[in-house]
This record gives sequence, C-alpha cells and structure tokens, in this order.
Amino acid sequence: MILELLAFLVLAVTAAVTALAALLVRELVHTIVWVALFFVSLAGFYFLVSAPFLGVLQLGVYAGAVTILLLFGVMVTRKRIFAHEAATGLGPAPVALSLLIVVVLATAASTIPAATSQIHSYSVSALSTALFNQYGAWLLLLGLVMLPALAGAIYLVREGRE
Amino acid sequence: MTDLPLAGFLALSAVLLGIGIFGILTRRNFILLLIAIEVAINSAILNFVVFGAYWGGVPGYGLEGPSVAVVLIGLAATEVAVGLAIVLALNRLRGSINVAEATVLKL
Repeated sequence: MILELLAFLVLAVTAAVTALAALLVRELVHTIVWVALFFVSLAGFYFLVSAPFLGVLQLGVYAGAVTILLLFGVMVTRKRIFAHEAATGLGPAPVALSLLIVVVLATAASTIPAATSQIHSYSVSALSTALFNQYGAWLLLLGLVMLPALAGAIYLVREGRE
Repeated sequence: MTDLPLAGFLALSAVLLGIGIFGILTRRNFILLLIAIEVAINSAILNFVVFGAYWGGVPGYGLEGPSVAVVLIGLAATEVAVGLAIVLALNRLRGSINVAEATVLKL
C-alpha cells in the first residue's frame, strides 16, 4: 500500500515535470526526449492501475511510434538539428488561464465521492470481446476516420502538387 | 486489490490538461503545438483508464473505460500523422514551421 502510494507520487511528479520540460526547453530534440519520458511515465501509471494491455499499447504507440514520427518531423524540417528555438514570451494570460483550469478541475476532483470500487485487473480477453462486439461500432468509426486521414496525409506531402 | 485515491489521479489529470493548454496557447512551433495537444489528450486517456480500472468489469458496469482508451490512442496517433503531414507541407511552401507565419490556409 505504502509502496504503491510512493510509486504513484513518483510517477505523478515525473509526468508533470517531463510534460512541463518538454514544452519549455529550447532544443526541439531535447523536447522529444522529454515527451518520450512523459509517455513512458503514463505507461507506468497504466501498469500501476492493473491495466497492462493499455500500458503496452501506450509504450508501443506513443513511446515508440509517435516519438519516432515527431523526431522524423524535426529531422526533415530544420537544417541544423540542434538549433535553438527562438524564445517566446510567456504572456500572463495563458499562464493565468491554464492555472485557472487546473484550480477549477482540481477543486471539482476533490469534491467527488470516494470510489465505491477498488482498483482491480480485468482480463484482456474480456476487453477484446467488448471491443469487437459491444463497442464494435467505435472501432469501425475509428477505421473510417483513419482511412481519410491517411489519404489526406499522402495528398498533403506528395511531390509536384500545385 | 489496491486503494489508491481516485482524486489523486483526477488532480494529476487536471494538472496535465493545464500544462497542455498552456503549451497550446504559448508555443509557436508547429511540432511543439502537436506535443502540447498530445499532452492534453493523454490527460483525458489517463482518466478513462483510471475509471476503467476502478469500475471495469464490476457487475453493473461494462468495459467502456478501456475501450474508449484504445479508440482514443488510435485517434491521437492519427492526429499526429496528419499534423506532421501539414508540418512537411508547411515547411516546403513557407520554409518555416512557425504557426504565426502560416497566415494563408491553402497549403
């Protein structure tokens, strides 16, 4: 119990710090490293709440594919890969707005009643059965979104388009 | 099995959403903007996974939480792919991926 609370606190601090660092460091390549650590810490959360399938999915899709895709985007769009970003000022309005959102949501989170159930694991086969029978329409819709997205991405990057 | 506080997860999710919105509002680089959006989406996915871990499979509740999480992970990955296609097109046409300079919608 104490050990799990400790793991939760360490992962929470890691997630918040790496997310903030990813958005504040000046080199884009360092940003990619920080955001990869952020994704890995979220996968750690999923393992902590007994959802290993989603943890592996998070590691494979985010820490693997999305990170490499972002790195590829950095590589092809700049001449010197470790060039510094121009410093952008942190205006008071964005900081105030995001702090307001955090305060409002954290207040709302503290008022919800205690959980009536405990964290437990469910079998992956039950999840896949639900995903392909009960919620099959969602997967179908996801496929219908992905297909035009793929076609649109190919259309945007193809050579000789005028 | 374990009894971690539900409010702790929700507060962390609120903090991550705040960080994501802060990044969306302040960053001018398209790739950083995509990363900020990813941070915000991941805070939502964390909520679905945590609620699914508490109530998923309990009699009277289904497995909506993890199912939505799987669909959302796929959707967010699609969004990154389209975003990077726009980054490449923007870089070829303007020579820069600063969103403040992309004032014409036609790529």
